Amino acid sequence: MTGRGTASRFLTAVLHNGVGRYVRQLQRLQVVFSPAAPDARGARQFVEEEAVDFARRHPDVVVYVRPCDCPAPVLQAEYLNGTVREELIASKTSEEIVQLAAKLASQSGLDIVRIRKPFHTANPSVQGQWHPLTNKPSALTVHGPRTAPQ
Amino acid sequence: MAAAVALRVVGRRLGLGLGLGRTSRRALWGGHSKKEEKEVEDSIIPQEKKEPSLICPPPRSRKYVPPENIQSILEARVKEICGPSLAGNWLQTSLKDNRLKYQLLAQLAAELGHAVPNSQLHLMCSAQDVLTFYSTPVKDMSKFDELCAAELPPNLKIAWER
Repeated sequence: MTGRGTASRFLTAVLHNGVGRYVRQLQRLQVVFSPAAPDARGARQFVEEEAVDFARRHPDVVVYVRPCDCPAPVLQAEYLNGTVREELIASKTSEEIVQLAAKLASQSGLDIVRIRKPFHTANPSVQGQWHPLTNKPSALTVHGPRTAPQ
Repeated sequence: MAAAVALRVVGRRLGLGLGLGRTSRRALWGGHSKKEEKEVEDSIIPQEKKEPSLICPPPRSRKYVPPENIQSILEARVKEICGPSLAGNWLQTSLKDNRLKYQLLAQLAAELGHAVPNSQLHLMCSAQDVLTFYSTPVKDMSKFDELCAAELPPNLKIAWER
């Protein structure tokens, strides 16, 4: 589909995050996997080896580990603005899951759609936007004080 | 023929005798045990409510932590068993002699509470192998139990399996 047919948004940060302090937008991460299924092997390895390190490196994210009878292992990320993203981790290795979790932790909860412009600013011009009469003799625009009728 | 018949008769008599003896003994024992049981039951009944039913005790823990002075212990044992006739390096003492091997391994197992499993007996050819075996720690917790028991950071929550 063309750019016009699909959704798009402008580049923005959630509540001007980063202007003052930076607040991680990922609120919680749920690792849902089956303790016996073969495709959840990477997930189990991740929980055994890497989950503790990940939790230590990201102390502002709550990590829930839920071994349960699910059809496919899933990494569910919830963001501060309410967005919930589910990523399938079936047949992935432990390192790939770590990278995926790090990627989710660095994202904000804004939609993943086409960004119209790769820049955004609240103050587009400091000295005033140029127009054709900038830098021209002011006689062109200024009408002098009205002289009295003779 | 007659001898065989006689033998059979003797056998039957003996068997009968034995059987009778056995049954009589059993009756004696049965009677005794019943009486004993009744007496014991009477004393046990008031206590039974406090005592729990017989629960199977947990299997023996296979945990093994090598002591710090394992090398000196092993050296002492080897010297004791092999006697003064040792090569320069006691680690290379060969355990080809089965008696020697058995004595050493049995003594170490009794002392340290950790025995070489049957499947690895053929690998113990020298004192060096025995040293490496007794220097490796063995833990019997599953990884999940270990993880839950270890100190988790406060932002990691693990849900126990139902």
